[in-house]
Amino acid sequence: MSDLELQQATVDAAAAEARPTGRPRVGTIIAGAFVAFLLVATCFPWLLETYDPNAIAPADAFQPPSAAHWFGTDESGRDLYSRVIAGTATSLAIGVAATAIGLALGLVLGVAASFGGRAVDFGVGRLVEVLFAFPGLLLALLVIVVAGPGPVTATIAVGLSTAPGYARIIRGQLISIRSAPYVEAATVLGRTRPRILGAHILPNALLPLVVLATLGIGQAIVWAAALSYLGLGAEPPAAEWGAMLSAGRTYLATAWWMTVFPGLMIVGTTIATTVLGRALARRERGVR
Amino acid sequence: MHAALHPLRRPRTFGLAVAALVGAVALAGCQAAEPDASDEPVAGGTLRYASGDAEPTCLDPHVGGNYPQALVATQFLESLVSLDESGEIIPWLAESWQASDDGLTWEFTLRDDVEFTDGTPFDAEAVKANVEHLKDPATQSSTGYLALGKVDRVEVVSPEVARFVLTAPDSALLESLSQPWLAIESPAGLARGMDENCQAPIGTGPFVVDGWEKQERISLVRNDDYVSPPADARHEGAAYLEAIDWRFIPDAASRYAALQAGQVDVIDNPQPDTAAAAEKSGDPTWIDAPRPGASNRIELNSGQAPFDDERVREAFIAAVDVNDGIDSLYFGTAERSYSPLSSAEALAYSDPDLFETDLDRANALLDEAGWAERDDDGTRVKEGERLVVRFPVSTNQSVPAEQSLFEQVQATAKEAGFDVQISLLDLSSWYGALFAHEYEIVSAPYTKVGPDVLRILYHSDSITPAPSGYFANLAQVNDPEIDALLTDAASTSDAAERADLYERAQALILGGHYLLPLYDQQNSFLVANSVHGARALPTVSTPTFYDAWIAD
Repeated sequence: MSDLELQQATVDAAAAEARPTGRPRVGTIIAGAFVAFLLVATCFPWLLETYDPNAIAPADAFQPPSAAHWFGTDESGRDLYSRVIAGTATSLAIGVAATAIGLALGLVLGVAASFGGRAVDFGVGRLVEVLFAFPGLLLALLVIVVAGPGPVTATIAVGLSTAPGYARIIRGQLISIRSAPYVEAATVLGRTRPRILGAHILPNALLPLVVLATLGIGQAIVWAAALSYLGLGAEPPAAEWGAMLSAGRTYLATAWWMTVFPGLMIVGTTIATTVLGRALARRERGVR
Repeated sequence: MHAALHPLRRPRTFGLAVAALVGAVALAGCQAAEPDASDEPVAGGTLRYASGDAEPTCLDPHVGGNYPQALVATQFLESLVSLDESGEIIPWLAESWQASDDGLTWEFTLRDDVEFTDGTPFDAEAVKANVEHLKDPATQSSTGYLALGKVDRVEVVSPEVARFVLTAPDSALLESLSQPWLAIESPAGLARGMDENCQAPIGTGPFVVDGWEKQERISLVRNDDYVSPPADARHEGAAYLEAIDWRFIPDAASRYAALQAGQVDVIDNPQPDTAAAAEKSGDPTWIDAPRPGASNRIELNSGQAPFDDERVREAFIAAVDVNDGIDSLYFGTAERSYSPLSSAEALAYSDPDLFETDLDRANALLDEAGWAERDDDGTRVKEGERLVVRFPVSTNQSVPAEQSLFEQVQATAKEAGFDVQISLLDLSSWYGALFAHEYEIVSAPYTKVGPDVLRILYHSDSITPAPSGYFANLAQVNDPEIDALLTDAASTSDAAERADLYERAQALILGGHYLLPLYDQQNSFLVANSVHGARALPTVSTPTFYDAWIAD
């Protein structure tokens, strides 16, 4: 089972336990608040930052968390809290953009496979299987080796390596919708295929995709952090959670805060987006 | 790399390794017990060494000639002469030597009882073959080739006497010959061709290359017939250790963890915080051995814009502040340098006044040089060009602390309007960036015994690439006055005149704002307390385990 099929299963499980009442759960509210905080950190980081995230102060290096430096300071005396905030934009941007790339590619492949006839379906199916044979991160590494390291390449790399999963799920979804009674009715009524695709099938397929994407963002952020951790994503001095984690690991024995806080942000963001994704999934099934 | 930590040769530490794998760091303390009360060396055992330097692509240090090659070659190759701790030249494979009055011929009397490990006798023919190998462009030598620049040929006077014929007097000849990059290999081994010789060069050393699993380990076994230790060794005959297991663990934190867990006995390139802790506690032992030759410095490429303008170079140096960073990142294990030469060099000349941080002066100089405008990022602009400073950094040649220092360089230079762009590269991409002149600043360690390293680094001849493609004059210094001083210094046999010439040359190089000295080339080792007798050779500070033994 791939990560994305796992996500699909999560969606299904969430739907199964959906409660008829529309009242959101406590977890969902907390997750929503956290995501709102992340959005503020992304769009208006200066509202939250207490220092310039790239301003060095070597004399203040390795300070533990205190009133002046909430998350402590790193090896160059930079304020870790401000850097974690500054890193939100990078990490979220990579996560969202990579998911968008993966979803768009998956949509193209999925639509082609389900409506392009048997030969195209066969071709796309085999292509997706070949891509699936590579572990996702390996595929991303391959792209980076070819295109060179950097944040943009890392985004594209993560996007490309999630695409086969989306393609397979989208194809399955479209095929099941294709045989739904309302589509058959439309066909009997003599609607053209593009019209059926545009007016009936895609709108019904899109909402589940949004749910899937919300869940995918968390994973994309983790992958992007992993690439930066390996030194293949963000370039110095850019604050990025994975890169900060990597820098802090060297001093793990003496300065725990350098790894713990960026790590908590990665974990927190992943959990928050997943919880929100599940809530969306419940709503989606509940509404239907 | 993960796998490199697992296989273990010595059964007695297997249990410890398992314990270590489940994360019981505390147990490791038990293995690094107090040294044995008796200081009697014990024969046998395998020493496990973990190197953080790049894995060589060729084990023959004649080919190219970088420090990672020297580290491992020291275990199985030997040179004609060596250095003792006071810096005096001492006999090794050569027993004695005599220069002619004009300094143009040197006769070396060789030991007559030494054989290479393949049975080939060590004699003057072998010395001749090695010098020819180094000078042959097909060998693609850089370090050895440059060091032999003045040697025209070697003549075989008799099997025990080799005569070096020079094109000009060379006051640095003995220092050059002491280095591992000019070590003497078996002529029969060299004759096998580069591919085969790179896999397992054949020398006269205390160990022999037994096998090389790429990305994993080099296996070295004892040379039981060994007879030729340098004059300052502490014992005679074969080494105590049966074998050395030479591993590569590029990541500093993993390397230290492997030492703590008892999976390896010696590591190089420790992170400064761990070195400082070891210096305090004495467990493991910290061996600090700064490399000779150049200091660790940032070179400014004066061969192209924007640093072809001396004012811009001076502005950069005035803008950058590294003192606080060195203190905090190196935990007191590194001292700021103000010289192009290592503090290990007696003739090093320092001028701290040239390196005082002065942002106002930097700004004034840049305004004067025409970089008066700034864009939205605060980066200075001149005729539509941004003041970009490309900085390729070799991750194989710098510990994380140094990379952090480079980020601080980036941050302080930004205040004056420089956009320093650091790219972290592996060794071959880094060489690629240098060969293509895609750098404005670079930090490139260069190790050589003696002040003649200045000629290699700052004489205009070194702008021309060596056969390996490397040009050592990365600052692209092209000053006839500096050239003349360095050429004269390398030729004179008068010690006082030599010292004076080198001082004047260094003053000119520093005054030309071609470089920003940081500290000595950091070179240190952490040695488990069960290992005794390990030391760094005073030549280029590579470790030697000939006298080493492991206590149970």
